[in-house]
Amino acid sequence: MRITTSMVQRNVLADLNMLSNKLAKTQSKAASQKEITRPSDDPFKASQAVGLRASLGANEQYIRNIEDATGWMDSTESALDSISGFLNRARDLLLQGSTDTADVTSRLALAGELDQIIDGIKQSANASYGGRYIMGGTEIDNPPYEVGPNDAYQGDEGGLDPAIPGIVREVGPGVTMTINTVARELLGDGQAAGDDKLLHVLRDIADHLRANDGAALRGGDLTRLDAQVDKLLSIRARNGAQTNRLEAATTRLDQISLALTTQLSKTEDADIAKVMIDFNSQAAAYQAALRAGANIVQSSLMDFLR
Amino acid sequence: MPVSSFFGLQTTLRGLIAQQRMLDTTGHNIANAATVGYSRQEATLAATRALQITVSGSINQVGAHLGAGVDVTGFRRIRDQFLDAQYRAQNTSLNDWKARAEALDSAELSLAEPGENGISAQLTKFWQAWSDLSNAPNDEAAKQAVVQQAQGLMDSIHSVRAQMVMAQEGAMGQYDQIAQPGGEVSQIATELAELNKVISQHLVHGDAPNDLMDRRDVLLDKLSGYGQISVEQLAGGSLNVAFVDATTGTAYPIVSDQTAEWAGPPAGGWSPGGQMGGLLAVAKPGGMIDGYLDSIDSLADNLATAVNGAYGGTFFTTGAPAGATIAVAAPIQANPASITSGTGGPGSNDLALAIAQLQGNAGIDGAYKAFVAKVGGDLNETTRMQTNAQILTDSVENRRQSVAGVSMDEEMSNLVRFQRAYQASARAMSTMDEMLDVLINRTGRVGL
Repeated sequence: MRITTSMVQRNVLADLNMLSNKLAKTQSKAASQKEITRPSDDPFKASQAVGLRASLGANEQYIRNIEDATGWMDSTESALDSISGFLNRARDLLLQGSTDTADVTSRLALAGELDQIIDGIKQSANASYGGRYIMGGTEIDNPPYEVGPNDAYQGDEGGLDPAIPGIVREVGPGVTMTINTVARELLGDGQAAGDDKLLHVLRDIADHLRANDGAALRGGDLTRLDAQVDKLLSIRARNGAQTNRLEAATTRLDQISLALTTQLSKTEDADIAKVMIDFNSQAAAYQAALRAGANIVQSSLMDFLR
Repeated sequence: MPVSSFFGLQTTLRGLIAQQRMLDTTGHNIANAATVGYSRQEATLAATRALQITVSGSINQVGAHLGAGVDVTGFRRIRDQFLDAQYRAQNTSLNDWKARAEALDSAELSLAEPGENGISAQLTKFWQAWSDLSNAPNDEAAKQAVVQQAQGLMDSIHSVRAQMVMAQEGAMGQYDQIAQPGGEVSQIATELAELNKVISQHLVHGDAPNDLMDRRDVLLDKLSGYGQISVEQLAGGSLNVAFVDATTGTAYPIVSDQTAEWAGPPAGGWSPGGQMGGLLAVAKPGGMIDGYLDSIDSLADNLATAVNGAYGGTFFTTGAPAGATIAVAAPIQANPASITSGTGGPGSNDLALAIAQLQGNAGIDGAYKAFVAKVGGDLNETTRMQTNAQILTDSVENRRQSVAGVSMDEEMSNLVRFQRAYQASARAMSTMDEMLDVLINRTGRVGL
């Protein structure tokens, strides 16, 4: 093949161009620390990265949801714990009042204390988390019970009645959990409703104490109160189980986040060692091409003819 | 037949003149070493018609041919038309891919993926805002955040769509500049017609206007970049040039002999190949960018339908095209607190939750992911094809340059060769001169 001057120039130029393109690409990898800076660098990996980022974002959100849910559950648990304390005290009072040695005066005093306990229980049920009342179903703006003689539940059935959605948190892809405990389930609506729930039972006991009705106190009241204690225990057990579930979910989500981050990094992050080695070898090649080009382009037969 | 005493002088003079023409041509080649489209030239030499003489000593007494020197019969340009045709075919395909790659490049840039400002990141933030709202269903700040994120997402969708439309319009504008009457093709057509005329005039007289023909070839090379061309050689040295539709094979004349025929692209659709074909493939109605716009519109549509469906009301409003008109409903924009998070009490969050759970929806996130892969894949393939076409074009161009290009080394050695030949001719002439000097000045002077 006949090699002409313009061919040599074109080839030298094309080679230099190619090398400096490669250098620019490697340089941008080194600067951005990313293997893929545009979808066309590797369409498959780029779309994978888009998906991974979205999953990662969702995962972070689930973790945030669980944190909120855990706070909610913890507040519920402490409210239930304080109700449990009140309940134990009420049982002590009932035992004291039911003995034959108790007389009218002491029973009246016990009834007075029991009224305080009822108010305390209601106040515990009015517990709030972040400005939201947690035991009134979805009625989070108003306390579920009024302190005083009115025992009627003021909230709604959200979360208690399966048909009505309560306070729900999304804790995983497509996984939701109802996290609220409705106070009505335990406390009920008092004597007026006759629902045989905690407030009804406690009011009855107070009435029996005031009426000095030792037989009733010894008979049905203790059994009825114990049934409430059992009920409370079962609610707390349910709450505890849910808290455990949340903790397990957090651990799992943390692991998934780690796995996703690793995968994302593998997909789009540049291998710095490799990039730097590439960069150095390409820079060396570029300089060599420059030097060779300078020699080839400059010299011609003219240099050697006299 | 006797031979003139001055015959030798004439022979050496012819030699001198011929070597001078060779030197001139070499000078012309060197001068044009860097001229685009120049093909090197060569003076064609032929021995002058010999003088037939009778030689007494010859065997049959018939005669002999006495060489009479050299004549320059013409100057030819050294060029391979087969390589020209090959180059033009490759150039057409190179410019096709190049035009596509450039237009798609700006379309891809507008996606801003992967990154924090792309639609994908905005979508994630949008879903997160709803999820946050489901955690605090009656919190005004959370509702505000939902509206803010929704507007951020709208901005991303609108700007991606607008930039794609801009890329499309840019490509169409470029196409019009090339193809419309008065555009580049028209100008080349006029110049080609003029060149055809001048070249045929010269060829009639028997001289080859090499440099004009080079100029004409440069114009044909340029045309081949715009579209696929056919070149028909006419008897008088003139050319018929036409664009040829790459699929139907229909010819659209640019120049017929000495008349410029180009009056703009055909009214219906066509696929001319080359830069025009590439631009059309990307930007014409129903082209690649239109496909991208459809994807964005259907994404916006799906988003609005899914969110409104889950919301049970109007959160997004859309018009046509969906991607450019989708917006947060005006009442919600005016009063973010009016967002209802749930169907029950203030703490109910079933609606917000239902929307947050749309994350990863196949028609939204899934469709967008596939869209990014499609845009990236298209550009990736186009760039690869462009690189291939570039390599092929370069190799044909190298072969063409190998034939037609000027080699300095060759010209230098020719320079030396012709100079020496000139010197030798001059020496031969002085020898003749000395010989005649003896004859004229010193002969017949006996006794003087």
